[in-house]
Amino acid sequence: MVAIVAALLVALLIPTAGPSASTSTAGTPPGAAEPDPTHALPADTLVTPPVLRNASREPNTVEVTLTATPTTLSLVPGSETAVFAYNGMVPGPTLEVYEGDRLIIHLRNELPEETTVHWHGLHLPWYADGSPFHPIEPGGQADFDFVIPQGTAGTYWYHPHPHHRSAYQVAKGLYGAIVVRDRDDPLPEVAEKLLVLWDNRFLQDGSIDLPEAQSMQGRIDFENGREGDVLFVNGQANPTVRIRPGEVQRWRIVNASAARVYRLGLQGHELLYVGSDGGLFEKPVPTDDVLIANSERIEILVRGTAAPGSIVTFQDLPYDRYIPQTRPRSWDKPRDLLTLQYTDETPLRMEVPSALRPVAWMDTTDVTARRVMVLTQGFINGKTMDMSRVDEVAELGTREIWQVENLVGMDHPFHLHGFRFQVLARNGVPEPFPSWHDTVNVPKHETVRFIVQLDDYPGKWMFHCHILDHENAGMMGILEVR
Amino acid sequence: MRGSSGPARTRRSAAILAVIAATGVAVAFTSGPDGPGAAREVGAEQQVNRETILKGRQLVLEHGCGGCHGGDANPAAPGFLAGITSPAQEFPIGACAEQPGAEPCWMTRPRNLTPDNTTGLGRFSERQIFNALRFGLRPGETADVEITSSTPGEGNFPLSPKYLAPPMPWNSWRHMPDADLWAIAAYLKHGLKPVSNQVEDSEGPPDFWASAYTEETFGSYPAPPFPAAAEQEPVDRSLRDRVLAGRQQVLEHACGDCHGGFQNPNAEGFLAGASAPGQIFPVGPCLEDPSAPCFMMRPRNLTPHPEAGTGRYTERQIFNAIRHGLRPSGTPDRDITPETFPADPDFLGPGMIWFEVRHMSDADIRAIATYLKHGLKPVNRVMEESDRHPDGWGTFYTDEEVGTFPAPPFPTVNEVGG
Ligand code: HEC
Ligand code: HEC
Ligand SMILES: [Cu+2]
Repeated sequence: MVAIVAALLVALLIPTAGPSASTSTAGTPPGAAEPDPTHALPADTLVTPPVLRNASREPNTVEVTLTATPTTLSLVPGSETAVFAYNGMVPGPTLEVYEGDRLIIHLRNELPEETTVHWHGLHLPWYADGSPFHPIEPGGQADFDFVIPQGTAGTYWYHPHPHHRSAYQVAKGLYGAIVVRDRDDPLPEVAEKLLVLWDNRFLQDGSIDLPEAQSMQGRIDFENGREGDVLFVNGQANPTVRIRPGEVQRWRIVNASAARVYRLGLQGHELLYVGSDGGLFEKPVPTDDVLIANSERIEILVRGTAAPGSIVTFQDLPYDRYIPQTRPRSWDKPRDLLTLQYTDETPLRMEVPSALRPVAWMDTTDVTARRVMVLTQGFINGKTMDMSRVDEVAELGTREIWQVENLVGMDHPFHLHGFRFQVLARNGVPEPFPSWHDTVNVPKHETVRFIVQLDDYPGKWMFHCHILDHENAGMMGILEVR
Repeated sequence: MRGSSGPARTRRSAAILAVIAATGVAVAFTSGPDGPGAAREVGAEQQVNRETILKGRQLVLEHGCGGCHGGDANPAAPGFLAGITSPAQEFPIGACAEQPGAEPCWMTRPRNLTPDNTTGLGRFSERQIFNALRFGLRPGETADVEITSSTPGEGNFPLSPKYLAPPMPWNSWRHMPDADLWAIAAYLKHGLKPVSNQVEDSEGPPDFWASAYTEETFGSYPAPPFPAAAEQEPVDRSLRDRVLAGRQQVLEHACGDCHGGFQNPNAEGFLAGASAPGQIFPVGPCLEDPSAPCFMMRPRNLTPHPEAGTGRYTERQIFNAIRHGLRPSGTPDRDITPETFPADPDFLGPGMIWFEVRHMSDADIRAIATYLKHGLKPVNRVMEESDRHPDGWGTFYTDEEVGTFPAPPFPTVNEVGG
């Protein structure tokens, strides 16, 4: 009862669908049929993870409870899988907030093991980072309370980050999306889809295939990171999204896979690449495909340019991120992620704005430190993670340039906790426009330079490879900001 | 950069590869090389002084690192040690080493050993280079730590070791004393100019060759006590020290990679001549152009058998073979000076890398000759002759092609220091 009232209050305060709304569709274009997952649509329709219920009555406050529990779900048709789930679902419910909101999270660990929840990409106090420094015991609980900074509207996600166990817990089903909204969103009219990508591998009996570390498959999984052969979008394999001819849809995409890097393309369609980890770009960038490495998020605009009734596939296209020794045989085959089905309706006429939001380059002239991070297979600067060691020390409030050099023949996506950054150059080529990231893929034998502002929050922040198997094995270091 | 035409480039590849093809690279993980307390002095990185760098350079020349990594034994050659630059310099490993197109097939690529930060050894420590040479552990995939055991999981030896691909002869290099390996590392890091040349990664099985590098094939580290199964005590006991010194040189110079038995003096046929079909390998223009002529190289029986092996030659003839490339059976037994050098030399074919190993000291080469003649059991195995070049290889062995002896003074254009 209280919950419903709270939801109504928030809905009244915020005219467009807000954090308490039960679908992730920010605005529905006039005339566009809004798919209702519960009624009259084929079973393969893409289901959007429900939005976490806001229990707060306060304005500009979102208070949610997240519980991690073991449970059994049917992830692949015809079999049951023992999973770990947030609030009983895989993926977990979506956490929606507005820029400037106070966010209160109550986290309960009902798992048989320690966990943490890392609010991936959010700028928050160190205690709330959910890094291995703050484990939550089985049966334990933790509360977080912090404010979402202005200007950080974008798509984020949450996942466990306990030492040596992230890969396992994410493989068991613990991951969910976070959407931070801008009250002046430049795309208010555009229907939105949230696509959380994840993959997994199952044994005959439906259980999750987690081979012994020293088995051949275990070692291959360690090198490549563990890839699955079943690709999920919001927990469904190859679901269907409907689009009206001429309609424009905004797809927010999260790569929650432990290791699979997706090169996303929509057959016969040019995509408009409009956002990265930290939200929208200044303007749309037309492209045929977009690479999204582990833990990255992208936003794209899909324009319904095909004929009424058309059916096209949204695919993970071949991308060679692998070392030759363990490159999967089928790496060069495209994989279907989702089916886009055109309705027979008369075409809509929708415009895409040419400007989205201002994104300024950070000033590179007052940088106080430059650091080199050398990535080799499983190591950063030749070392593996040691919780009792500080690898880098930085002064609070300063700005730094980091050069991440990948010396080996496979990609390593590099993630920094707590602070967003702008990529300055990839392999010496200046980035064409500024955008916000918390993870950047460093392709084999390439070098990426980024600039980061270490504001507000002192603490011991992790930086690591976001191939979870590499992170588990200690391809991680500690930046102390003080 | 020097063309990839050097016939020597086939070198040890074919030999090693045949063995690996035969083993089939199983998926089981054996424990890799054995040998307790392998690296006692590790960690105490040597002071980088000119002496050390020059010593490292000497070792790099006499071990023929440039034969695969670029520039042969000529430190003035363009691209010296800077890694391969053409697909013709790659090694096919596996069944395809013998039969093109056969599976399994992995292409392996000698890497850039200059201290370039992103494409060479610049970002790797001397300790990582040491660990590559002593344990065969890939610097890019192994922690920068002191390793005190060669049992996986112990003493920092990785639980899942990732080995350098064949034909990188680390199984031989590991027999060098610690100080030598540190000197090589010092030379590579401090004696060479960085060259930017990104070599594509080698291919390989997912176990990173762990099941291919068996003790049975490659011998143990440290080597078994003398005399092992293929060896014998010298009849003249006063030669024992020289025999042992020669054995050390033979092990660390990878003679067994071509002449049989790798670094395993317990192996049947150790140094008794190429034994697997793949150990007989072609050199010549055909490596670049399949329609061009080929010369088959047949590494010979080096055991002291009086008819089939080195029993026919004097130690001086063996010395002249290694230092000057002069075929023992076709060269009079005499000291070679510029004056006595044969007018019409009968050179060994370039499959025999005399133009690299000639950089060894006189004493080391003599010790090898003594070991071959007095420390090995004779094996009666008649090797078919290698194909002869119509001009006896004389026109091939130009200074341009194989460098000079002695080597040009340090530093050359490719080197730094002085
Ligand atoms: C018969 C050919 C051959 C010879 C001779 C040879 N190497 Fe190599 N070496 C290779 C190959 C092939 C690789 C690549 C292995 C791989 O990719 O796993 C390699 C790799 C290396 C590496 C690892 C480099 C890296 O970046 O990973 C080092 C160090 C090295 N060699 C040093 C030497 C030294 C020193 C010598 C001489 C004492 C030498 N090599 C002689 C073939 C050779
Ligand atoms: C890369 C392969 C290879 C390596 C390594 C190698 N050899 Fe050879 N060796 C050959 C070949 C091939 C021949 C025969 C050449 C010919 O007949 O033209 C040969 C010939 C010889 C001969 C002449 C034998 C005779 O009966 O004519 C001697 C002596 C010899 N090698 C000693 C050595 C020693 C000592 C080492 C180690 C320091 C060594 N070789 C390393 C390939 C090799
Ligand atoms: Cu990684």
